[in-house]
Amino acid sequence: MLQKYRALIGANALALALAQSAFAAEKAEVLHWWTTEAQSKAVKVFADAFNAAGGEWVDNAIVNGDVAKPTGINRIVGGNPPTVMMMNAGKQFGELADQGLLNNLDDVAAAGDWKKSLPADVLEAVSRDGHIYAVPVNLQTPNWLWYNKALFEKFGVQEPKTWEDFFAAADKFQAGGIIPLAFGAQPWQQHQLFNGVLAGAGGRDLYLSIFRDKNPEATKTPEFKRVAETYAKIRSYTDPGTPNRSFNEAASMLTTGKAAMHIMGDWEKGEFTAAGWVAGEDYGCVLGLGQQNFLMDSNVFIMPKGESEAAAKAQALMAEVMLDKDVQVKFNNLKGSMPVRNDVDTSGLDACSKVGLEVLEDPGKQLAGPDWLAGADMLNSLADVVVEYWATPSETPDEFADKYAAVLSEFQE
Amino acid sequence: MSTPPAKIHNVPMGEGPSGRAPKGVGPARIGIYAFLVISALFFLLPLYVMIVTSIKPMEEIRLGGLFTLPTTITFEPWAKAWSSACTGLDCRGISPGFWNSVKILVPSVFCSIFVGALTGYALSFWRVRCANLLFAALLLGAFLPYQVFIYPLVRIYSATGLFSTIYALVLTHVIFGLPVMTLLFRNYYAGIPIDLFKAARVDGGRFFSIFFRLMLPMSIPMLVVAVILQVTGIWNDFIMGLTFGGLANRPMTVQLTNLVAPTEGEIAYNVNMAATIMTAAVPLIVYFVSGRWFVRGIAAGAVKG
Amino acid sequence: MKQRPIRWSVYAGLTPAILIVVFAYIGTIIWTVGISFTDSRMLPVARFAGFNQYVRLFATERWLTSVQNMVIVGVLMIAISLALGFLLAVALDQRIRAEGFLRTIILYPYAMSFIVTGLVWQWILNPTLGIEQTVRGWGFENFRFDWIIQKETAIYCVVLAAVWHAAGLVMAIMLAGLRGIDQDLWKASRIDGIKPWRFYWHIVVPILRPSFISATVLLSLGVVKLYDLVLVLTGGGPGFSSDVPAKFVMDYLFQRQNIGLATAAATTLLITVLCALTPWLYAEYFRAEKRKD
Repeated sequence: MLQKYRALIGANALALALAQSAFAAEKAEVLHWWTTEAQSKAVKVFADAFNAAGGEWVDNAIVNGDVAKPTGINRIVGGNPPTVMMMNAGKQFGELADQGLLNNLDDVAAAGDWKKSLPADVLEAVSRDGHIYAVPVNLQTPNWLWYNKALFEKFGVQEPKTWEDFFAAADKFQAGGIIPLAFGAQPWQQHQLFNGVLAGAGGRDLYLSIFRDKNPEATKTPEFKRVAETYAKIRSYTDPGTPNRSFNEAASMLTTGKAAMHIMGDWEKGEFTAAGWVAGEDYGCVLGLGQQNFLMDSNVFIMPKGESEAAAKAQALMAEVMLDKDVQVKFNNLKGSMPVRNDVDTSGLDACSKVGLEVLEDPGKQLAGPDWLAGADMLNSLADVVVEYWATPSETPDEFADKYAAVLSEFQE
Repeated sequence: MSTPPAKIHNVPMGEGPSGRAPKGVGPARIGIYAFLVISALFFLLPLYVMIVTSIKPMEEIRLGGLFTLPTTITFEPWAKAWSSACTGLDCRGISPGFWNSVKILVPSVFCSIFVGALTGYALSFWRVRCANLLFAALLLGAFLPYQVFIYPLVRIYSATGLFSTIYALVLTHVIFGLPVMTLLFRNYYAGIPIDLFKAARVDGGRFFSIFFRLMLPMSIPMLVVAVILQVTGIWNDFIMGLTFGGLANRPMTVQLTNLVAPTEGEIAYNVNMAATIMTAAVPLIVYFVSGRWFVRGIAAGAVKG
Repeated sequence: MKQRPIRWSVYAGLTPAILIVVFAYIGTIIWTVGISFTDSRMLPVARFAGFNQYVRLFATERWLTSVQNMVIVGVLMIAISLALGFLLAVALDQRIRAEGFLRTIILYPYAMSFIVTGLVWQWILNPTLGIEQTVRGWGFENFRFDWIIQKETAIYCVVLAAVWHAAGLVMAIMLAGLRGIDQDLWKASRIDGIKPWRFYWHIVVPILRPSFISATVLLSLGVVKLYDLVLVLTGGGPGFSSDVPAKFVMDYLFQRQNIGLATAAATTLLITVLCALTPWLYAEYFRAEKRKD
C-alpha cells in the first residue's frame, strides 16, 4: 500500500505522513457536475488515484452545474457539507470563505510548493485575502473556434485568424448552403460568445477596463462599438433553431457536416472525441479570433469545514492527489483541458492543446477569465443585457452600449 | 360554507342538461356541434401528437410530419423510455423516477390527509382558542406563492440533515397540502349534524377516540376526494421535487425534464414523448377512472394551484 | 356550544397544524421578508440595506419584463379561459350527444402536470418540428408559425398552453352552475320568445356571477404561481422575454445566488397576492361565518 502510494505521489515528508494516516481509508464525498462521457472518464482518474492513495472516493455527481452548485452550497451553509466540492475559480466561493465555512489550504499549498509549480494568476484566483481556499486542477479557455476540416477544404477556405476572416469564410459557407456557425442561444453560451468577441475584437485593454475596472466609460469607445457590431453580425450566420440548443447539440452539427464552425470552450473536444473525431485531422482549432488571448478559466475543488479530523485529512490527501504530476496529465488529457502545473510532461497532449499551450507561454496573452475578475451577480446582469441584445435585432449597438454601461456603473467600486 | 370551489359539488354534474331541447337539425345545432368538435380536436391534439410520435421509429420522425399517422408501429421507444434512456451517464430510463414518485407519493398522501382530517375535525367540533386565526393562516398558506417559503425551508432542511431526503419531500407535501386538506374536511364536517358529535361526547368519547371511531369512518367520501386530489397534485409536483428532493429522490416530473434535455446530437422525440406519456399516465388514469370524484377534487383543491 | 375547560388532547391533535403554521408559514415569511432588507448575496448576512434591494429590483429590466408578462398572461389567459369555458359549458348544455365523452376530453388536460403540458406544446410549437414544419410539408413553403422563438410573441405561447390546461376547469365550474339554474326560467324564456343569446347574456351570465368569480380567483392564483410551464415551454426566453416573477425568484435564489434580490422579489409577489386576496378571503369566509352565528 505504502509503496504504491509513494510511487504515485513522490516521497516527500508530508506525503509520508499523509500516507500513514491514509491507512484509515479516509472517506471523501466529492460533489461535482462532470457527467458527460469524457468528463466522467476524467473524474475517474482522480477517484482511482485517491483510492490508490488510501482514501475512499464517494462519488456524488449531479447533472448540471446550475443544480449542483446550489445543492452543495446549501449543504455547506446548512452544516452538512460534502468533503470536497467542485467550483470555478474566481469570486464564486469568496463568500463561503468570508463566512469561515471553508478550510484554509495554506499549509497544504506550502507543503506542495504551489508557488513554484502553479501560475501566479491561478493562485490568485483560488485565494481570498491572501489565503488559499481551493485546489485548481486545470486550465481552459472558452474562446476556441472549432471547425470542420473537410468542409473547409471543400469550400477552399483558409483557417480564419481574425473576425474579418471569419465573416469572409462564413459568407462562402452560407452561399454554399452550409450553416456557417453552429450556435446554441442559451444564456451562458451567448454570454460566453460575447466575452470571446470582447477579448478578440475589442482587445485586452477594453476587456480589462470592463471586467476588472468596471468602467462604464469603456462602452463609449470605438472598440466597444466594434464588439457590439461584430456580435450582432454573427447572428445572421446562425440558423433559426438556436433557441435552447445545448452546446453538445451544436457540436454535433459540426460532426454531421451541417455547420462549419462553432465557438466553444475546451470541453468541446470531449464531444468530438466521442464522435470519433481526431484533433488536427477531422477538426481544426483557432484560439481567440482577433487578438489571441487565453481567457483563463479553471475548475477548482473547495474543501468545506467539517466536524471531523478525518475529513480534514481526507481533504489534504485529495489536494495532493489532484495536483500530482501524473494524475494531472492523465486527467487533463481525458478532460480536454490543460494541466494547471507548469512542470509536467506535455508531449502527450493533442494538437489543439498544444496550440493552447503555445499561447499560454506568452504571459502577454494570458487574460483572467470574467469569473476571476467579477462576481456572479455582475456577470449575470451583464449576461441579461447581452442575451436581450441578441434576441432583439432592432436594438442598435449604441442602445446596447448604454444598457451595458448602466450595469457596469451599478457595480463600479 | 360558501367557498366558491366547494359550490360545485353541491350540484352534481349528472343532473341532466338544462338548455333548450333541440328543435330538429337547424344551422344553430350544426354550429354547436362544429364548435364542440373543433374544441375537442384542440384539446386532443397534444395527446394525439404524443401517442402517435411515441410509436414511430426515428426514421419516420426525421421525415417530418409530427401529425401524420405512423406507417410502421414500434413499441421500442416505450421500452427505451422506461428502462434504458439516458440522463447524463445514468441509463436506467424513467423508471427510477417512477418509483421515486411512488415512494414520495404514498407517505405524503397518507400523512397529509391524516393531518388535514385531524385539523379539520378539531376546528369543526371543538372549541379552540384562536381557531379563526389558525384557519386564516392556513388559508393564506394555500394561496401564497411557494417562492416565499422555499429558501428558509431549504436552510432548515439543510441544518437538520433532511435536505435531499425523501423525508424532506414528504414533510413539504404535508406542509403545503395541509390548507386544502383542512379546508376540505372542515367543510365536510360542517355538514355532519352536531347532535351526533354531542351524543358521542355524552357516551364518554374523547378527542381522539371520536375521531378514529366515528368521524374517520364517516368521512369515506371525503377521503376518496382527498386521495384523488393529493395523488394527482403530488404526482404532478415539480418545484418541490426539484428543490428539496436531491439527486437520489427526484420524482418523475423532474427526471422527465432531465431526460428530454438533449444529451446527444439527435433528439429521440419518440422516446421523449413515450416518457412524457408515462409521466402523465398516473393522473390521467386517476382522472379517467374516477371521473366525477376527480371533478369534485379539483374544484375543491384547485386553490392549491 | 358552551365554554368548556381546555382539553389538552385537542391541542395535541392540532399540534402538527400549529407547528406548520408557526414555523413553515409565519417563520419562513418573516425570514424571507427579513433577508430582503439586507444586502445578502450567496448567503444571508445581517447587513441592513434598507430598501436597496427593492430599488434595484424595480430598476432591473428582467423583473419589469416578468411582471409585465404576468399581467399579459393573467389578463389574456383568464379572459380566454372564461370565454371558452363558458361557451363550451353552454354548448354542452344543449342536450347534445356524447356529452360525457366530450366533457372528459375537454377536462383531461387539467389532470396533466404543467411539465407535461409545457413539453408537449413546446414540441408542437417548435418551428422545425411541429405545426410550421407540417404546414410547410403540405406545400405552403412560406408558412410561418414561429411564435415560440420570437421575442415579442413567445409569451403568447404560454397563454395558449395555459388556456389549453385550464379551460376545462372553467367548463366544469360553469356547467355545474348552469345545471343549478331553475328549470322554470328556461320555460319562461321560451314562452316569452326571448332570443337564446339574449337570454344567456342578460339572465344566465348574471346568475352565474359566483361561478365566474370563483373561476377567476382559481385562475389568477395559478397565474401568480406560474413557473413549471414557462420553465419547460420557453425557458423564459428568447432572452428573458417570457420570464415570469416566480421563475425570476427561483433563478435568483438558486442559479444566481443573489438571495437579497430574490427575497425582495418574493416579498413583492407576496404583497401583491395579499392585497388581492385579503378582502376576498375576508368576505368569503369570515363575514359569512359571522352571519351564521
